[in-house]
Amino acid sequence: MDTKNIKYTPLSEQRFIDPAILASVLDATNTGVVITDNLLPDNPIIYCNAAFEEMCGYDHDEIIGHNCRFLQDKDRSQESRFKIAQAIKDGENCVVEIRNYTKDGRLFHNELYLSPVKDAAGNVTHFIGIQNDVSLRKKAEQTLQMNFKEIERQVIDRTRMLKESEEYLSSIVETIRESLLVMDKDYTVLSANNHFLNTFKVSINDTKGKLLYDLGNGQWNIPELRLMMEEILPTNNPVLDYEVEHEFPHIGRKLMLLNAHRVELEGQFKDRILLAIEDITERKAVEQRKDDFLSIASHELKTPLTTVVGYVQMMQRLMPENSSEKFRSVVEKTGTYVARLNQLLKELMDVSRIQSGNIELHMDYFDFDKMVRETIDGLQTAAPGHRIVVKGKPVHQCYGDESNLVQVINNLISNAIKYSPDSKEVEIHISRVSSFIKFSVRDYGLGIKEDDLKKVFERFYRVGDIQKNYPGMGIGLYICDQIIKNHKGTLWVESELGEGSVFSFTLPVNPDKKAAYGD
Amino acid sequence: MGIKKVMVCDDDRGILDLIELIMEDAGFSVISEINSLNAISRIEKEKPDLLILDIWMPVLSGDQVLKSIKDSSSIVNLPVIMYSASTEGEVIAKAAGADDYIAKPFDLDELIGKVNKWMV
Repeated sequence: MDTKNIKYTPLSEQRFIDPAILASVLDATNTGVVITDNLLPDNPIIYCNAAFEEMCGYDHDEIIGHNCRFLQDKDRSQESRFKIAQAIKDGENCVVEIRNYTKDGRLFHNELYLSPVKDAAGNVTHFIGIQNDVSLRKKAEQTLQMNFKEIERQVIDRTRMLKESEEYLSSIVETIRESLLVMDKDYTVLSANNHFLNTFKVSINDTKGKLLYDLGNGQWNIPELRLMMEEILPTNNPVLDYEVEHEFPHIGRKLMLLNAHRVELEGQFKDRILLAIEDITERKAVEQRKDDFLSIASHELKTPLTTVVGYVQMMQRLMPENSSEKFRSVVEKTGTYVARLNQLLKELMDVSRIQSGNIELHMDYFDFDKMVRETIDGLQTAAPGHRIVVKGKPVHQCYGDESNLVQVINNLISNAIKYSPDSKEVEIHISRVSSFIKFSVRDYGLGIKEDDLKKVFERFYRVGDIQKNYPGMGIGLYICDQIIKNHKGTLWVESELGEGSVFSFTLPVNPDKKAAYGD
Repeated sequence: MGIKKVMVCDDDRGILDLIELIMEDAGFSVISEINSLNAISRIEKEKPDLLILDIWMPVLSGDQVLKSIKDSSSIVNLPVIMYSASTEGEVIAKAAGADDYIAKPFDLDELIGKVNKWMV
């Protein structure tokens, strides 16, 4: 506002304003105005303007002559009332906020300015009350206050939750039986859990703030690991199950399994690397002992079994001409079961050899068709109830370990016969597919449940409901799979429960001879 | 010609007895030796026509016995058939210079067949 343009009316002139005009002025404002006469008993109201009537809902006639206290209705013990009483008594100004009630009982917050009017002698003759309904403001203030309290409460809650979740996380990190390191993008260690410190017998000061590759005697400074670690952030490819064998300071030679992932917590950090280190030295040793046990046990069993097999054969040979049928049958059955025991032991020894990686392949060129034919001939004699049908085209030469492949084909066809007791036919299909020989065996037997399909190639896996009716250790297909893998081929199965199964394998026609000896 | 003499050397009494039985039944005379350390002196003394030799034996293994035979000037033209239960056996036997190899547990006819094949 431009103050220069305001024209002040001299006080002397104000005194002569017509009271009617003044009354209109008072009625025109939306501020409630009340005048009480303090010379009369109980300070009655002698004037109120329209805004006051509007504010409290009472008519002019219901107001005039009353003490102001009707505005508080029954809410009498407010502190504001005592302030007012004091001001009136002392004849002084006061400003209070007081809870008032309209005629129909609605609460409103009244901001009240009280001013005494004094005569020439200084006695209080009247009080003027200027009133504003501040309910809205009050309400806004209260809402604000409540919001503020709510926010405060939420902040406390969140802080507590954060603290709890941090404690929760930290208790997990500290409880876990695995060493954990968190690094920034430059492989500087940001934190290490207690398991790490205990495992490697280092202090947090030896670790935190140091470069991963500088830790210990540079024990993690392995070019291959470094390459993989450096790929984590740009490609998001984790390092999975990487084995490190190393002479660690303080703890000696250990085999560690490493897993590393990029970690990110939105709004907090990104591009960090979590490295989990697991000491698998003991586990590997236990596995080794188990494999050794398998190997030793099967070899130890082999010698007495050889003797038994031999003696049974001698019994058959030395059988007197006039032996009873019963006796002959007993000897024959003994032979059958000893042969089965021998087969099982042979399989166990195969597993043991595969475990120890002691599979030696004697690779050479041989006639695949002839090998299949001869294998089938042997099986056909043993299983006259099934007809083994060969389809497809001859593939001629194959490069591989013939006796191993005979074992695979024998196993697959025997399984096909074993698991299709109610059908008459087993179908073999031989073909050349691109640079591979493909061999398939189809049966129309029990079939395999989808859940079991992948697992049938696992060591010692047996399909549950098959177990009772079909004996075996669950290693035949495992051995087949390993043999085919050693030949750089693949073995797989397609099956439908109740419809039968198709087991197929492929063999590269001209494998890299060196590679085939690998693994 | 008289009865051919087969010598068997194995640290396992059961196998030794079995092979003895098989060979006798097949019409050979048999000498068995359970201690491979005595093998060479027994061969020199008994002069068998053929040796059936286990590979895995304590102290002195079959391939070591065979090496001594090869090195010996007094033992000549003795056919040796080795056997073992392990799959590496065949490789070891060939490397050591055995005339033939048979895997445990052996088939009677196969064993007798091999003995007849190599019997001079």
